[in-house]
Amino acid sequence: MANINTSAKDRTFDAIVIGSGISGGWAAKEFTEKGLKTLVLERGRDVKHLKDYPTTNMYPWEFPHRGEVPEAIKAENPSISRCYAFKEDAMHFFVKDKEHPYIQDKPFDLIRGYQVGGKSLMWARQTQRWSNFDFEGPARDGFAVDWPIRYEDIAPWYSYVEKFVGISGNKDGIPNLPDGEFLPAMDLTRVETYFKDFVAANYKDRHVIYGRCAHLSEPQPIHIEQGRVKCQKRTLCQRGCPFGGYFSSNSSTLPWAEKTGNLTMRPFSVVHSIIYDEKRGKATGVRVVDTNTKEMTEYYANVIFVNAAAVNTNLILLNSVSHRFPQGLGNDSGVLGKYFAFHNYRGHISAQYDGFKDITTDGRRPTSAYLPRFRNVQKQETDFLRGYAAGFNGGRRLTSDDSGFGVGLKDRISNEELGPWYVGSHMMGETIPKEESQLTLDKTSKDEWGIPTVHINVGYDDNDEKMLKDFFEQMTEMYTKAGFTNIKTGDSHQAPGLDIHEMGGVRMGHDPKTSMLNKWNQLHACNNVYVTDGACMTSTSTQNPSLTYMALTARAVDHAVTELKKGNI
Amino acid sequence: MPVSRRTALKQVLLVSAGIALLPSCLHTAPASLKLKNLDVNGDDEKMLEELAATIIPTTKTPGAREVKAQQFALTMMDDCFNKEAQQKWTIGMKEFEALCKKKNGHSFVKSTPAERESLLQSLEKEDASKVPAAHFYQVTKRLTVQAYTNSEYYLTKVEEYELVPARFHGSIPVKDLTKKTL
Repeated sequence: MANINTSAKDRTFDAIVIGSGISGGWAAKEFTEKGLKTLVLERGRDVKHLKDYPTTNMYPWEFPHRGEVPEAIKAENPSISRCYAFKEDAMHFFVKDKEHPYIQDKPFDLIRGYQVGGKSLMWARQTQRWSNFDFEGPARDGFAVDWPIRYEDIAPWYSYVEKFVGISGNKDGIPNLPDGEFLPAMDLTRVETYFKDFVAANYKDRHVIYGRCAHLSEPQPIHIEQGRVKCQKRTLCQRGCPFGGYFSSNSSTLPWAEKTGNLTMRPFSVVHSIIYDEKRGKATGVRVVDTNTKEMTEYYANVIFVNAAAVNTNLILLNSVSHRFPQGLGNDSGVLGKYFAFHNYRGHISAQYDGFKDITTDGRRPTSAYLPRFRNVQKQETDFLRGYAAGFNGGRRLTSDDSGFGVGLKDRISNEELGPWYVGSHMMGETIPKEESQLTLDKTSKDEWGIPTVHINVGYDDNDEKMLKDFFEQMTEMYTKAGFTNIKTGDSHQAPGLDIHEMGGVRMGHDPKTSMLNKWNQLHACNNVYVTDGACMTSTSTQNPSLTYMALTARAVDHAVTELKKGNI
Repeated sequence: MPVSRRTALKQVLLVSAGIALLPSCLHTAPASLKLKNLDVNGDDEKMLEELAATIIPTTKTPGAREVKAQQFALTMMDDCFNKEAQQKWTIGMKEFEALCKKKNGHSFVKSTPAERESLLQSLEKEDASKVPAAHFYQVTKRLTVQAYTNSEYYLTKVEEYELVPARFHGSIPVKDLTKKTL
């Protein structure tokens, strides 16, 4: 009944991409560039580059609460309110808990961005490559299943996406953090350089490097062609950048796709399920609910990419039931929704350094230094599996003595002085995907668009606790030996999810009996459906995953188009 | 779902409490801004203005009064503090006024600059976790400083906030800094 207005022909495309975030944007760019008529479905509203960044040029005093989120919003939305970027200047880009409920079987803070561009608008822009120490991890250490790919399979695709995205970084020559295609790095601060040199001199296999990030430190012709210019170091990225100084779908891949004339973008379109044709043994399209009219419409294509972000990608597949797939699309093995994992961000440490009093920094910088994983890299050496990376950030703040009142106080706060160098780190720990860490659909409750509510059941384990303890011990030792003082460690006890690195549930693997996707990100059991967002990840590594999603997506589109031409899918 | 129902209920209760209080508020002017949660009237706002102006006085340069710190303090207290903190602050405000009357014989607004300063000096010495008037003073002072150091005046004339710094130097001599920027 819903399809009376347009013919099936008008609703037929060469490719459908579900989601317009960092991986969906890449799928859109690759498909349209290769000449395929591509429909991108986005459940949220449209956000146009430049036009839809309402706060981007606002001064601090123009925000009524100077950045703070009002208590009433926090009380209604406790999970999203814990996100570091959910502040007065960018809260319009985040989903409020109340608007889209999910069920926490264990505490889980799900951070979502329902709009064109998804979370690529507000991401933290760290782009570190994975290595074979990551891809070979599960096989070596006996957890999850073996990745069906190795670094060599993805390396050219890392290069391919890095050149287009624009990554600022140094070639550091570290085996477990491969170098890439880099634009110049920005400065480390004096204390960061000091710590880098200290660690290099005192630890054989530990490194402090400049954190590689998706910022145009020196734009190349390919970036100018996208309409992006040099990063102006505003560090207001989460508001959307009028310079396109950092990479987002909105500033980069989506306008690029649009220019081909092959893109159809449909916002306000939540995907209910994927349509499976029992006779042809293929997916033929998707069922879409218009979030405004609540009308359901079907769209058709030869190939479907699911890039709805990890939790919703699982949800869509679980909800795509048919006679052939009663447990969800492609789920012969029963592993769909299982082996869900995240990054352990609980540990942080801070201190100060009393040297370099006559040196300071000037301006602002949108990244920090980084310590690649140094635990259990070459071989197992601790009582826990895997390891952690850490951020490292050091600078000086203007401070004043705020005691008293009157002319004295006014004088002091009007003449702030440079404090000592502060330093700080946070951990990014690999967690082990486990069968019981699972996403399921609620049997009765549905949202207002008729889509089942998702249960999230994932928590910390003993391995995570041991790793956290080791982070505190090792960082405290390094900080102490480096002469840092006033060292303070802290466990945020934050729930999983707040790391915004949720992964798995539709994992890649060699064997259809134990995995959902093959080495090309195709569903083993329905080969014209590909999953290339966080849901596809077999293990989590310690590195920020977005760069890997982008590379896997470009690689998978290349495969899909080749297979389409051969008539294989 | 249960959370939102509870919140909704609370709001209903607050609104009805506000209506119940209305008649007694008729003698004094309401606050200049629309408050959702706080029971603060125009007299209280005037007192806050004088308190803020005592904390950061107007000299040759603008002070808390010129940046309307009292309005910012009220906005923040009304929107960004929970009910418990709001109650603690308003109770402290009443005690602050009572203490002023006891010490100076009249309200804070009617007190001389010397009387105001002596009151604040005595509160500086008190334990804010035990004395409600001192708690009120310390919280209001923090909000006043926040209002002042985040004001357009301060961020353009005192320590310039740069919207587009377009540079980052990780290691430069302090003496070569051309301006203090945020």
